Amino acid sequence: MKRSLIWWVICGAVLASLPIFTSTGTLRIFIFANFLAIFAMSWDILSGYTGYISFGHPFLIGIAGYTTAILTRHLGTPLYISMPFAILLTMVAGTLFFFPALRIRGTYFALVTLAFMEVTYHLLKIVKPAVTGGTRGLTGLPFVVTGAVPNYYLSLFVMLTVGIGLWVLAKSSIGTVLSAIRMDEGAVKSAGLNPTKFKLFAFTVSAMVAGIGGSFYTHYLGSISPRAMFDITFLFTILVAALVGGEHTIVGPILGAYFLTFLLEYLRPYIPGAWRFLLYSVIALVVYNFAPKGIYSIFQGLFDWVGRRMRRGEQYG
Amino acid sequence: MSNMGSLLELRNLTKTFGRLVALSDLSLTVQRGETLGLIGPNGSGKTTTFNLIMRELKQDEGEIFFEGKEITKYPIQERVKMGIARTYQIPRPFAEMTVAENIRVGIMPDKIISVMTMNIRDGLEREIGKSVGFKQHELSMYPSELSMGSLRRLELGRNMATNPKLLLLDEVFAGLTVGEIAELSELLKEKKKEGLTFIIVSHDLRSLGPLVDRVIVVSFGEVVAEGSFEEVIADEKVKEAYLGKEEDSHLELHK
Repeated sequence: MKRSLIWWVICGAVLASLPIFTSTGTLRIFIFANFLAIFAMSWDILSGYTGYISFGHPFLIGIAGYTTAILTRHLGTPLYISMPFAILLTMVAGTLFFFPALRIRGTYFALVTLAFMEVTYHLLKIVKPAVTGGTRGLTGLPFVVTGAVPNYYLSLFVMLTVGIGLWVLAKSSIGTVLSAIRMDEGAVKSAGLNPTKFKLFAFTVSAMVAGIGGSFYTHYLGSISPRAMFDITFLFTILVAALVGGEHTIVGPILGAYFLTFLLEYLRPYIPGAWRFLLYSVIALVVYNFAPKGIYSIFQGLFDWVGRRMRRGEQYG
Repeated sequence: MSNMGSLLELRNLTKTFGRLVALSDLSLTVQRGETLGLIGPNGSGKTTTFNLIMRELKQDEGEIFFEGKEITKYPIQERVKMGIARTYQIPRPFAEMTVAENIRVGIMPDKIISVMTMNIRDGLEREIGKSVGFKQHELSMYPSELSMGSLRRLELGRNMATNPKLLLLDEVFAGLTVGEIAELSELLKEKKKEGLTFIIVSHDLRSLGPLVDRVIVVSFGEVVAEGSFEEVIADEKVKEAYLGKEEDSHLELHK
């Protein structure tokens, strides 16, 4: 425990001092990685833990993004009102839409959530384009902070706050129940617990995190468009980040988000356009095949090994 | 009104799956502190009965009473809270959790806030674990490392954590070694002494015999015989249900 704390402090220090020795361009990549980490963790607390695979997280992120975008653009609502409102609405609307879906298991849950995302995409284009901006979306939205360095710190702060919060939650008995639901929902019932209650809770937390990420992300970009949000590529980036990093670990999705973001960036000069996604799916498959529990488990194994080495050193040294 | 001395009462339960009648107008009563054996050939409706008692399946007709209160419409977790628990024919542990964590899920209250702020008292898990025969080091083992006997004890532990009054044990001796059966039987006798009520389903009549106060035999979803263990296994209808009508079968019920 103490040793892992040291690692965390080192990681934190490196991340905090990053703006000193990196370029603005690299910082922008880190900012995106932080947001992706938030989205991936949001997915993880629901799907990673309970095993209810959601394909609808872009839908949640989109609700938040669009709510705060419309409020600020058309009504001139200040950010400190529009953003909390957007997060709240994501929790409420998401819960209302998904609650019926939480009663169905497996593939069907995934399909229902996927359908939500697609339907929203098509509706946004035709229903009140004057408000939503239609296919083009909304631009010229206010920023929370400006400049790469402040934005980097903001995204890092939000990501770490969300991460620590979810990690504490996942380490509590709530995390145990959610994992138990993944392993055998029937046995959870026969242990006297109502799984629906806990799934709903996990969902609400997940929607809240998606809402936080979505609203900050929108005001970081300053624009929002349906194809950027309700897109299968966006969905799979989130999924792959969580899976490659290691699901039901909370820390894993952060690692996965960083790994994927940098992978995509470094591939950019070599492989043009969407072809990069082909390669990253290959890499995702390779990682998934050789370390099904994700990058997190590789790191954990490494730390354990180093720990054992050091302890042995102490014994004989 | 229900019979006041009884802990559980099933009234006229009927359950069909399509055209298959799994249970037909089944009624039975379990007294407080009693151990009831529920036997019958494969497919006679024993597990279905358990599923109905827990509401893992809904009956087509009939009512269920527990401690004199009708619970027919209660969902499973409410029934567990009232004090009914079951084990499964094939144990269902939480595969990626240790024995202690499995037991912890049983201890947890069904309230988000209470679970979130729950102070995990290791002592309670250990206490329950030891009460079903786990040694200290076994508490941190995973289900994949356990023998069938230990898996059955794990389920029993998770059940004990819910403070049951009535325990339904489904094929509790299946897959166990002779030693494990003896251990488990001792454990069950102990729990019975502490006042727990049991319904035990088992094909292993030799192991079941010494444990039960009374036996009910079901066949094709109906009660065909009821009485003490000795009476029941001597019953012609029971032999017929188990063996068919052939004269020279070799199932040795008496041994």
